[in-house]
Amino acid sequence: MASGERQADEPGRSQAWARVLWDSVARLSPLSLVSNPVMFIVELMFFVVVAMAVDPAAFSPLSSTADVTFYVEVAAILLVTVWFSTLSDALAEQQARNTASSLRRLESEVLSKKLVREDWTEKVVPTPSSALRRGDVVRLDKGDLVPIDAEVLEGIAMLDESLVTGESAPVRKAPGDVLIGGSTVVSDTMVARVTVDPEESYINKMIKMVEAAKRPKTPNEQAVTVVLIGLTAIFTIVIASLAGLSVVLGLGGDLSVMIALYVCLLPTTIGALLPAIGLSGMSRLYRRKVVAKSGKAIEAAGDADVILLDKTGTITVGNRQAVEFVPVGGHTAREVGEAAFLSSWYDDTAEGRSVVRLAYEKGLIPKELNSLSKSKVYEFSATTRTSGVLLASTGSFALPKSGKEMDKGGRISRKHADSVADLVPSGDVEVIKGAPDAVKAIAPSTEESDGVAESISLEGGTPMAVVRDGRLLGFIRLKDTLKPGIKEKIVAVKTMGIRPVMITGDQPLTAKSIAKEVGIDEYVPQAKPADKYGVVQSEQAQSRIVAMIGDGTNDAPALAVADIGLAMNSGTEPAKEAANMVDLESNPAKVIEVVMLGKQLLMTRGAVTAFSIANDVAKYFAIVPVLFASAYPALERLNILGLGLHTAVLSALIFNAVIIPLLIPLAMRGVSFKPADTMTLFLRNTLIYGAGGVVAPFVGIKAIDVLISLVHP
Amino acid sequence: MITILDAAYVVAILGGSILAAKAIAPYIAKIYTHGPSRLDRFLDPVENGVYRLIGVDVHRGMGWKEYFLSGLLVNLVQMAIAFVILTFQGELPLNPQGFSGVRWDLALNTVISIGTNTNLQHYNGETTLSYLSQMSAIQFLQFTSAATGICMGVAMIRCLLAGSKDLGNFYVDFVRSLTRLLIPFCLVAAVVLVALGVPQSLNGYQTISTVTGASQMILIGPIASLVSIMQLGTNGGGYFGANSAYPFQNPSPVSDVFEICLMLLLPTALIFVFGEMLGPEKKREYRPILVAAYSLFAIDLAIGFIPTTTLGPGMETRFGGFFSAFWTVVTTAVTTGSVNASLYAMHPFVILAAFMGMLIQATPGGKGVGLMYMIMFIIITVFVVGLMSGRTPEYLGMKITARDVKLVMVAFLIHPLVILVPTLVAFASGAAAQIGVSMNASGFTQVLYEFTSAASNNGSDFFGASANTPFWNISTAIVIFVGRYAPIAILLAMGGSMIGRKRSPEVGLKTDSLLFSGVLVASILILVVLTFFPFLAVGPILQYLHGQANFLG
Repeated sequence: MASGERQADEPGRSQAWARVLWDSVARLSPLSLVSNPVMFIVELMFFVVVAMAVDPAAFSPLSSTADVTFYVEVAAILLVTVWFSTLSDALAEQQARNTASSLRRLESEVLSKKLVREDWTEKVVPTPSSALRRGDVVRLDKGDLVPIDAEVLEGIAMLDESLVTGESAPVRKAPGDVLIGGSTVVSDTMVARVTVDPEESYINKMIKMVEAAKRPKTPNEQAVTVVLIGLTAIFTIVIASLAGLSVVLGLGGDLSVMIALYVCLLPTTIGALLPAIGLSGMSRLYRRKVVAKSGKAIEAAGDADVILLDKTGTITVGNRQAVEFVPVGGHTAREVGEAAFLSSWYDDTAEGRSVVRLAYEKGLIPKELNSLSKSKVYEFSATTRTSGVLLASTGSFALPKSGKEMDKGGRISRKHADSVADLVPSGDVEVIKGAPDAVKAIAPSTEESDGVAESISLEGGTPMAVVRDGRLLGFIRLKDTLKPGIKEKIVAVKTMGIRPVMITGDQPLTAKSIAKEVGIDEYVPQAKPADKYGVVQSEQAQSRIVAMIGDGTNDAPALAVADIGLAMNSGTEPAKEAANMVDLESNPAKVIEVVMLGKQLLMTRGAVTAFSIANDVAKYFAIVPVLFASAYPALERLNILGLGLHTAVLSALIFNAVIIPLLIPLAMRGVSFKPADTMTLFLRNTLIYGAGGVVAPFVGIKAIDVLISLVHP
Repeated sequence: MITILDAAYVVAILGGSILAAKAIAPYIAKIYTHGPSRLDRFLDPVENGVYRLIGVDVHRGMGWKEYFLSGLLVNLVQMAIAFVILTFQGELPLNPQGFSGVRWDLALNTVISIGTNTNLQHYNGETTLSYLSQMSAIQFLQFTSAATGICMGVAMIRCLLAGSKDLGNFYVDFVRSLTRLLIPFCLVAAVVLVALGVPQSLNGYQTISTVTGASQMILIGPIASLVSIMQLGTNGGGYFGANSAYPFQNPSPVSDVFEICLMLLLPTALIFVFGEMLGPEKKREYRPILVAAYSLFAIDLAIGFIPTTTLGPGMETRFGGFFSAFWTVVTTAVTTGSVNASLYAMHPFVILAAFMGMLIQATPGGKGVGLMYMIMFIIITVFVVGLMSGRTPEYLGMKITARDVKLVMVAFLIHPLVILVPTLVAFASGAAAQIGVSMNASGFTQVLYEFTSAASNNGSDFFGASANTPFWNISTAIVIFVGRYAPIAILLAMGGSMIGRKRSPEVGLKTDSLLFSGVLVASILILVVLTFFPFLAVGPILQYLHGQANFLG
């Protein structure tokens, strides 16, 4: 299967490259460049220089050199500059298409057997359920899932509709009967006709957006575009005035050199890469299996001031684990442990399993063990909020050799065995466990027991009372276990100046202790899911940008108002619709990654902008000395780079063009960064891309100039 | 290069000015926050009288449009009055020298120039204007234009304050600027100037006998009062054509230093006022403005001081090369435009430094307006580099929107537009050749300087009365008018939209940090100075490369 896929990919890859190339060339059309003002002007200048090459005399006196070879060279570099820009666009789109299609594969889809009639034979075409349309005919064999609602055409079969209707007995279906999507064929084969169009799934709609060629600009992209247009306007005034002065004062400047200066000064680097940066930011998010409703959502994520984190599932693994048996009222830890063992024997929750495992590991094996086989089980109920067993008669068990085996595959191993002889039978025993206040009705608490329970809470645990025959023996100390890596993530979040707030249903004391353990300063205890809405609103009232995660329908209102709402794919449909992002892997801690990605996107855009503008310093010094070289040879003294008189312009232009593809990887990957506070990030990026942007072209242009003079001595 | 003693002078003068500015800032802030003052007892009745007279509701705040238009209207009315006085000065009293009325185009240029705090003078005051014109038209406009500039700057500050509901009331700000700031400060300054030997008299020409026994006619007049507002209000329009190079405007090195301090005082004080008005929590935000303004100023000075040992033939020898260069850099850095030595005599580097001051307009720039320009640069810089901190750009907690950026870019664009296009037109139309400007680097420098000075509302120039032709009068009047009001209107429009905008309590990019100040300086140098680099290259830089130490010839 894997090798087959790879084989299928090979022609796909070369096709993809061909498409990238074709897209990049097709986009050279001035019409499709209109949305990118900087590149549009560069192309316009290309046409002007081409015209100069065709008829230099028409541009007199601004074609003083009348050097057609030079004009052709300048024109060629200008065209390549624009092409580099369209290439980066096409590459980013290819990348986005790839991530989108990989996402689509992730969506659980049923592959159905669509029947296609060709000539006189019928052919089976594997088709994903989402691609089926009303009227399509599908074949259903034994074991197949009905992809979508359909009507039986021929054949009689038994179907299991339990997943859909809850009815466990298979149902017989004959021609004319209706098949429900999601049911399974248990026996035989039939042919059916699809009766509905598959509704486009929500996720699908989101994925489609990234593939759309016309992506709306985000507010930040719009603002950056405004800056680029503004700078373009300023340099247009500057160059037009220079050309005018050259004519009026008879300075003998050549228009091609002025155009070269113009294009070099224009923010071509950021102008070329701006669309790619935005799209790649989205692709990076998609690669982490998160889909966003808009690019705006990712930018907002970078601005997050507050992140609301659900304790369960985000900070802790979601299940509390028993860590200690604490006796009260003169009882021993052994008594508590043995009673806890009994009470949890039939409790298959993670908590219950952890109790049995702890008791077993501590060697607290109750002598009443044999009686468990014939005991009455009190399931946990919402009214009593307790669970337990009533041991009645005798029996025997063989215990596995280790605690690990006890808790195997999520179920307690309860193998019966008669070989264990030294376990004695016993009479009726009732063991109950539950929250301290829930067992009060059965076993009155004492001052001492209340104190113990509170101290367990204080230390971050959850006390669970163990009662045997109406006597409170003590407590099981249950403790939350932190998710691996969550502490580091919280540290990173705080370093970035973002406030994590923990939302939990726990008692204040427990909440406080967990928050402290994981390094969170703010928490909202005893919160119901609906309380998140209030928290989001109160933070927003203080002009803070709030990020949150949610899965339940209860979370929908909060997700809708939060600036960054990340819904879990496992969550309810309303939650997903209200959120502006959905995590297909349903990992709540991913909200932190999303925030980091948002920051990375903004930083990348800023870094390339700053780099692009800082580049201008060197370009002035490369071109201005030769601008009016014929009239004012003295200006040559400004040539601090020592560039060749004839090669300086080409060197600067080539650098200006080549820097675009060199930065494509940066644009697509994003600037790398370690979590740090805003000013540290700013300092680091300013040094690398700002100061680096000033220095790099001095080095680059000089190097290119040396190379050119080697080729053209 | 300069001597250690010279450097000590610079540090002492700048340090003294900054300290004095810091000292008076709380008082100035109170004028606009209406804080209690001991002067209330005397001034409240006067001001309330004025408000009643012009029918102003003191408590009614204005939006940006109304505030700006009120200022513009007040200025236009005052210019119109001054225009009438200048045109008919021949028939009006206080004209002992018997000057006739001023030609319409010169009158227009003069009222717009003085009324916008530019003070580009295409006339020699001593041979053109009567006492009445000097005192009412010129001096009156110098007060009101300075007050207008301060009001606009204060309105801009109010836009940036959290909790502002409007920009304030222009008329109230205007009246209080005059009664509590300009008039009392000028009074003190004038008294000091008189003590330093500047004349203040209405007696016209004085006939005195010289030591050799011959008799000589000299002109004196209400000079001290004019000099005080011209320097303090960063106007720069002198009583005499030769401005502060003339002994009666600037009799001694002491008066020279005093006048330099006067020029620096209010523009610098307004930076501190910004901090005062922002309140204790955000007070430090004045720092990047102060640091950037004075760092750029220091760069200007460094460039200007490179050649002080080589005095040109026309150099004013009373103050020496150092003080002449120092003055020139200061007067362009704060857009005053008064001169203490002829620009023709200056080394190209001094001119280059002067250009930088006028192109940036915020080092620290004209009072009020310089602050606005610096805020404009901050918004551009925050936007361009702020993204690198990983957040969408914010200033004072406010998100910078695409509209803010658009307005800032347009305001920024006006400067090159109104400098470069008219320069081109002046050469293309032959207007430059007409007044004897040569078609070479020196000539180009002079024309570029004229329009740069006009656009940045500076007022210093090479031409003086020789540019008193319709082309130069009208073209510079247009450039001055657009260069003054368009950026103010646009920046106030941006500021107006910031009133009531959400302010994040979290701080992303710390704009009050030294790091940001450094980035701000770099971005101003790249975005502003380098934009004009090709023109400076064929102007003063080429002159230097050609070995023309000065502009004579």
